[in-house]
Amino acid sequence: MGTPPIDPEELLRRIRTEHLALRWGPLPPDPVRPGGAGEQIRSQESLEYLHRNWMLPISFDDPGRAGVRAKLGGRVGRFVYTVLGPYFRAERDLLAHMVRVNDALEKRCDELTNRILEVRHQVADRQVAEARNQAELAVWLHQALPGRDGDDPDDEVPSA
Amino acid sequence: MATTDRDRPLVVILTPHWGLGTERGTVTRQVAGALACSADVHVVTPEGSAAASGPDSVFTVHRLGTSSGERAELRRDLVLTAVAASTSPDDRRGTADLDRLLDRGLVTSWAPATEVLGDLRPDLVVVADHRNVGGLAALDRHDPGLPTVVLSLAGDDDHLTFAHFDPVVERAAHVLVVTETERHAVVERFGRDTTTHRIGAPLAANASAFSEPNTWVGDTGYILVLTDRESTEAHPQNELAGLVRLRFSDRPVGITHTDGFFAWHEGRVNTGWPIERSSDLARLMAWAALTVDLRRPELYGRAAVESLLYGTPIVVAEDSRAREHAQRGRGGLWFGDTAEMTWCIESLLESSTNEVLRDQGRAYAEDEYGSTDRFIDRVTAACGLDVADIPDIVRVASLSTGKPSSPSGLDDQALPASA
Repeated sequence: MGTPPIDPEELLRRIRTEHLALRWGPLPPDPVRPGGAGEQIRSQESLEYLHRNWMLPISFDDPGRAGVRAKLGGRVGRFVYTVLGPYFRAERDLLAHMVRVNDALEKRCDELTNRILEVRHQVADRQVAEARNQAELAVWLHQALPGRDGDDPDDEVPSA
Repeated sequence: MATTDRDRPLVVILTPHWGLGTERGTVTRQVAGALACSADVHVVTPEGSAAASGPDSVFTVHRLGTSSGERAELRRDLVLTAVAASTSPDDRRGTADLDRLLDRGLVTSWAPATEVLGDLRPDLVVVADHRNVGGLAALDRHDPGLPTVVLSLAGDDDHLTFAHFDPVVERAAHVLVVTETERHAVVERFGRDTTTHRIGAPLAANASAFSEPNTWVGDTGYILVLTDRESTEAHPQNELAGLVRLRFSDRPVGITHTDGFFAWHEGRVNTGWPIERSSDLARLMAWAALTVDLRRPELYGRAAVESLLYGTPIVVAEDSRAREHAQRGRGGLWFGDTAEMTWCIESLLESSTNEVLRDQGRAYAEDEYGSTDRFIDRVTAACGLDVADIPDIVRVASLSTGKPSSPSGLDDQALPASA
């Protein structure tokens, strides 16, 4: 009695069937990078308005027109600005500092936004790399599983 | 075959290349060798630095010295690849612009061949390569009615589906192909079931390969992995080879790279010289438990057939030309993905399976590729030459050199074409 012949197609079909129930692979994360192109607070209109208008007047600007009413108005104006001058200067300094603080905050916000986006990209890249690595590991571990003929249901690895 | 004023018929082979080193080149020379047993064979090729004619073994070679080198063929192949990637096989009828682009540098180089054919007045012309439109043009300028056979040499590059090359096959009375896969592709394209002939190739196991194992892996029942890449290159072949040595770390694994031979076992590696001589590769295959060929064969997968001749089962990719030898020859398995590759290897390492496939594969390889006599018969019959009067001493000649090797008539004496 000679050894019975083997049909490779049949053998391959059997191999594939045996391994079908045990095939497992980790679900890869979406390789698409997180959205957001680094929005900048610098572009907001309100901030630009602040930069243009923070400097309020601290002295009376005499228009220099002729006439009694104009002269009277000039005197009243100079008196008011002389009396309230220290308050106007203090308020102007206050506004100047507020604009500077806003500038610093805006700059810091932009830096943090960019840093967050960078970290999100790094995390996504790392997830993809680890998933690929796990897929290779899954193949190797799968090969090393005892009782891979499917007789023992405890040996089965959950399907992804 | 009508030979009015000659003792033997005169056959001209029009081939773009003449020489060993590639599967296409080797098969062309082997066919020429088979025809030389019953005819005077003249080879015409555009190669050479200047026009010259002279003997090469039993052949007379006419070098036209007009070849534009590999650039024209590379350009043609790039164009074909680009068109194939953007069209379906049914939609490759071509245009005048495409035809001009494909012919550029590959048709004009054949112009002097018409004069050579006029001087030789052949009884039969063999056009090597189904893309040889330049050779066909030269032939038709000489005599459009001359009996012609085409040696297809169609690889798995899908070039058969381009209508531009159809006239070469359509012009020929018979088509010679090496494998059943190639035959199927030709018949599917041209529907010439009865005039397409599978001729195989003459190969033989070198008995001396069994005399002593390779010193780097020894007689250890190792897995032999064949690649055509450098060991440090980032390439899928190297990734698969790495997976084999990691998965089967308890068994010696020998990996051939272009920059060396690496024998791995239990995490340690012995490094040897690159395997460049066919006798060294033969020795490795002869002592291996199985051969995993990760390369893409150009035409028919010679290494896979030789592995089977040495009684070593094979594992190949399912889209490789070598799959035919595993499937039809029942001498191995084929894989579609990484996991399947390891399962196939695992299965073939079982001694009972290995032994059966080894015997089946060897029987197939010896029957289809191991006989020089049968190869000569197939070639001469397909070309319509009379083989009845061929003396035995000629029929066992080495096809690569054309020189008789032994008067015994035994097929075992046939030499591999690269010997």
